[in-house]
Amino acid sequence: MKSELEYEFQPGSCQALYMPKHPTKLKLASWLILATMLMGLGGMTSVLAGNTHQIKMVAEEVDPTGNLGLFAYRMMQHQVVDSNGNTVDLSGNYSTVATIPGPTIVMTEGDVAEIELMHQFNPDNPKQEHVSLHVHGVHYDKESDGTLKYINLYKDESATPVLSYNYRWIAAPGTTGTWAYHDHNMNSHNGAEDRGLFGALIVNPASGLLLQDINGTGSGNALLSQIQKEFVLYIGDDAFWGMEINNANGVQTALGANPNLNAQLNSDIRIHLIALGTNFPQFELPSYTWIDPGTRRRISAKTIGPLEKHVFAINASQSASYLDTAFSSKLLGMKGQLIVD
Amino acid sequence: MSTSIYGKKMKKFSITFISMALWLFSSIAWAATHTISISAVQLPNGQYGYKLNNHTSSDGVVPNYPAEAVIPGPTLFVKQGDIVNIQLRNETNIKVGFNAPGLTNGVVAPANPGQSKSYTLNTQQTGTYPYFDDKSQLLGLFGAIVVDDANGQVQSFVDGDGKITAVNRAQLDKEFVMFMVGSTFWGAEISRDGTQKPLWTNPTLGAVMNNLVRFHVLSVGMAHTFHLHAHRWINPAANPNTATAEDIIDVHLMKNPHDSHVFTIKAGTGVGPGVWQYHCHLVSHMESGMNGKFLVVAADSGDPGNSIAGASPSGAIFLNPSDDPGLVTFIISDEPGSWFRSARGDALSPVTFTKSLEVIPPGSSVHFVMSDTHGVHTITSLLWPSEAGNNNHPGGDHFMIPFDQTKAYRGGGIVQLNVPGLYVFTCKVHPYMFGAVIVDSPGTTGLDLGNTIDLVSGIKNLPTSSDLATRLLRTFFVATTQGNWQDYTAATPWHVNYPNVPVETNLGTLNLKDVLEARYGQDITLSAVTAPATPGVGEVWINTQFEKTAGKTKPGTITVLDTTNWTLKRKIALPEINMNNPHNIWPNRDHTVMYQTQWFDTKLTLIDQRTGKLIKNIQVGDTPSHVVTLPNSDDLTVAINGENGVVIIPAGTTEVNYMMPTQHQGQVPANPHGHWVSADGSRIITPNINTSDAGIYNADTGQIVSRTQTGNGAPGPHPIAIGMMPDSSKIYASNLLHHSLSVLDGNNGALLKTINLIENYNPITGDITGPVGVLPIQTPVSPDGKAVVLAATGGQIVVVDTKTDSIVKMLACDPGCHGANFGAKQGGGYYAYVTSKFSNRLIVVDVDPNNDGDLSDADIVGSISMVAGSSVAKDDTISSLAGYGGQGLVALPNVYNGWVQNLTSEWASGLTNSQRNPIQ
Repeated sequence: MKSELEYEFQPGSCQALYMPKHPTKLKLASWLILATMLMGLGGMTSVLAGNTHQIKMVAEEVDPTGNLGLFAYRMMQHQVVDSNGNTVDLSGNYSTVATIPGPTIVMTEGDVAEIELMHQFNPDNPKQEHVSLHVHGVHYDKESDGTLKYINLYKDESATPVLSYNYRWIAAPGTTGTWAYHDHNMNSHNGAEDRGLFGALIVNPASGLLLQDINGTGSGNALLSQIQKEFVLYIGDDAFWGMEINNANGVQTALGANPNLNAQLNSDIRIHLIALGTNFPQFELPSYTWIDPGTRRRISAKTIGPLEKHVFAINASQSASYLDTAFSSKLLGMKGQLIVD
Repeated sequence: MSTSIYGKKMKKFSITFISMALWLFSSIAWAATHTISISAVQLPNGQYGYKLNNHTSSDGVVPNYPAEAVIPGPTLFVKQGDIVNIQLRNETNIKVGFNAPGLTNGVVAPANPGQSKSYTLNTQQTGTYPYFDDKSQLLGLFGAIVVDDANGQVQSFVDGDGKITAVNRAQLDKEFVMFMVGSTFWGAEISRDGTQKPLWTNPTLGAVMNNLVRFHVLSVGMAHTFHLHAHRWINPAANPNTATAEDIIDVHLMKNPHDSHVFTIKAGTGVGPGVWQYHCHLVSHMESGMNGKFLVVAADSGDPGNSIAGASPSGAIFLNPSDDPGLVTFIISDEPGSWFRSARGDALSPVTFTKSLEVIPPGSSVHFVMSDTHGVHTITSLLWPSEAGNNNHPGGDHFMIPFDQTKAYRGGGIVQLNVPGLYVFTCKVHPYMFGAVIVDSPGTTGLDLGNTIDLVSGIKNLPTSSDLATRLLRTFFVATTQGNWQDYTAATPWHVNYPNVPVETNLGTLNLKDVLEARYGQDITLSAVTAPATPGVGEVWINTQFEKTAGKTKPGTITVLDTTNWTLKRKIALPEINMNNPHNIWPNRDHTVMYQTQWFDTKLTLIDQRTGKLIKNIQVGDTPSHVVTLPNSDDLTVAINGENGVVIIPAGTTEVNYMMPTQHQGQVPANPHGHWVSADGSRIITPNINTSDAGIYNADTGQIVSRTQTGNGAPGPHPIAIGMMPDSSKIYASNLLHHSLSVLDGNNGALLKTINLIENYNPITGDITGPVGVLPIQTPVSPDGKAVVLAATGGQIVVVDTKTDSIVKMLACDPGCHGANFGAKQGGGYYAYVTSKFSNRLIVVDVDPNNDGDLSDADIVGSISMVAGSSVAKDDTISSLAGYGGQGLVALPNVYNGWVQNLTSEWASGLTNSQRNPIQ
């Protein structure tokens, strides 16, 4: 969807809840609230926030002179517009360089993200002609799948050397959770997700009640507000890639490969695992336990497959090593420390 | 899916409980009794499928099944508590069974061809279960059994407003069964009225906006993750009645060896109509074609949202005309010659003389499944019709051609071929595994080879009548047909069988056999095998990697040659570990232990040098290729060819200590093959086949010192083996597909020179005007540093003078010439021992017979048959392919500089002073 098409939806491409019957200049967020009230969704415990995230991101090569063959996303601008039209600029929370994983985009159930992606690769390399954002979990219509026409039979949904591309993600009710976003179009119709073009989207519940309890004790849902730090840990075929988000100030810090995670003693932290590649990581964090989602089992280890997510909250009570115990991963030293002090 | 967590007592209890429940709740129907008859049938492409003959149920309700054998097999719908009797009739020529873990009662042996067997199912627990044959499941013998709740309650769905809504089966608009097998989806659709429609491979699944659709995703064999774009559903681990947002997913792991994952979606909810991709989310499986489309049409579009079936084993392929797109299947195998074995290869080979050639019409597909291998592989285009790979191909074929994956894996592949012409596939890790497909347009006289082909090495628009094209075809027919290999024990000349068929080339219609015989000869008399006049010192251990023995299913032996009298001393097959494709070998410092890699497996084997007996078989990683010790520490380094590093086993231990990565984190795996180590043990040098470079690594720290691109910028030069000067000053890296030898500075990896090994070869006319080395592999430097001896798989031995880094001699080798290594010659000097994959002899080269430093008299001084007579000690009976498959080898004593100084006095005793101190 090119810039001029921004905010326009194809007829029938979105469910009625989000779809004004007639073109309107009202902000979508207002419609959300109105629709929610009109439809009397009594199940909702709080009014949806309905913020709009206006985001500009760049996809570029990591250290082009280093010949690493790695690529990454960089946040250029992130502004949040609330339902009253007030704008908060979060751009300063992000790294000024492209990072692996890419910027973590944090939304709340009910929010909408409008993301413009820009292409900063070698314009002469035909394999790098396209780059995109394909997101998991949340709602988007066929303009924002982030795939090539070869896949979607509609159009190339890519940023190219000459045109940026706009994506629209809707963190509708039922999309709470942690989701991957990644490229789907560079090099081939499968994209270069395994070359560094990936990041995480966290959709927090509008209720402020976390999906997890702390340590899997069955103590009931924890409050989002009690989580001091979020750690996004992508598990690639040969390394963990970390990103820390300090919830006190929203500042994100890229931690690099097989990072150490620093947490304050007795603080509550949340770990967001996403696997990516061809291997099946066997994640372990000995001396901590949490609940395996959907079950009542308390676990300290979990095998996940590529692009599965696994999210848990723990109280940082002691230092420990996290690792991937799969045969080659262990030999390659895929591990790091959770340092608690 | 459920697992049998209950003991027998619990089972009884459950049955009692269910019976009571049935009695108590009158709304629940009485348990029905099903009598089901199915057959196992071979399909036209050689795969197998289950066919439903008859299904009767006491409640009178049975689905409308397909009349034919299908993949996946018929979906059996029963209700919890039903009594299910299944009779399986085996109409194939292999043994077939029926196993549904969690459902089948007891163990029933498989049915022999022509036999029937009966099975009863235990339907206490709702769920969707895979049923399959234990042995041939990956070839199509799998299907699903759905045990539904007696009330019809099925999986809840997540609506666009986040509401989790209960569903009864009666509300479903349609159901899809999608098996993930190899790197392919196999689908079936069950419509609202119960009609089952086979959708075959990677189908387009159709639905109308807001349809309620239940997916039964299942897997047998390799693990996968299932992902469907723009939709989300409930984690089956969760109770749908209490599921929360935490339990909403859009990717799910399908575990090895079989798994099942069932969910309901409302098509397009929250996202609208569109073409939404479903795919496996493993990168290698995505790259090998494991995807399809979920087509959601608008409710008011008038489009009924029908599904579109994919290529089928019963569709249009050579000898099986049909209006539907067809599918040929290659089994990826550890079996010599038929590494890509057509599932109907036995039927085709009387005409084609190979099991690795298939013929399809345009629009049909080729399918690969790694069902007969313990290794990891890639499915990579070696050559293809130029038009298919052109960037602007209107049908989008260039999105899939050339076919390739970033890293080696377990799975398979599938690709539709539309442009007529010749396609050859290989494995990057094992680059002599070949499978060929001719896409033949029905309108032409001969089989379409097309006008021009492109090669993975960057050659474009090569005419199909050119010498290089036909030479590659000849290589294909020799490599993939055991009967075409050179037998030095035969009384008759070497005969190569080619298909006697007309082919279409850029020069019009030609007879393939006539062209190949005219160009490369036929019924060639092989020279007699005669031992060198001067004995060697010690032994040579040779990997006769294809030789088969009676006590194991996997190929390969070690042949031990006594060079003091040129007789075979021993054959080592190790049937107790089913040794699989032994590829490269190296001794420890005192030569008591031999380290042997199993290249199509995950193991390194430790063997007692004196007795040839197994010491230990240890896991080291996927597809270990070469092994070298560090001369200073005697630590062992093993190149993990299927992965991204070199594993280290400290001297005296038998466990892998760590893996030294061959690339930075996140980079494309290097897949190192035939590495070498500097004489002081400080540097490990790897040829990185997947990243087209030679890497130098600090052996102490594991740090990357340098990575130098080889092949002068050509794509895919495939550096495969390393040789090194005895003073470690220079590195020689052979580039298999670039036909060149890169000379690098031994300290910093700077490229010094690229020796073009085909400078004297005209690829169009075939004129050879000087020494050439086609497809070079091993490239050791003589311990005294005078010469590089290079074994070229095209059938040449090339001698390079290290003073000038230029070719001084070409000697004739055998087809598949592969391994080379030096050993001591009695009285001084060295022999280069050279192996060939497709012959059964070892060639002995003396690079400087008169020891004057002038290599122009380098020559073959003898050869030894690798076929063992009855008097040779063996640990298993040779059953076929005697002496074939010569690849890695090593001479004892190990006389390379750095190692020779550390020999025990016993092993050093036969050496001259200069052999003991080669660079002084």
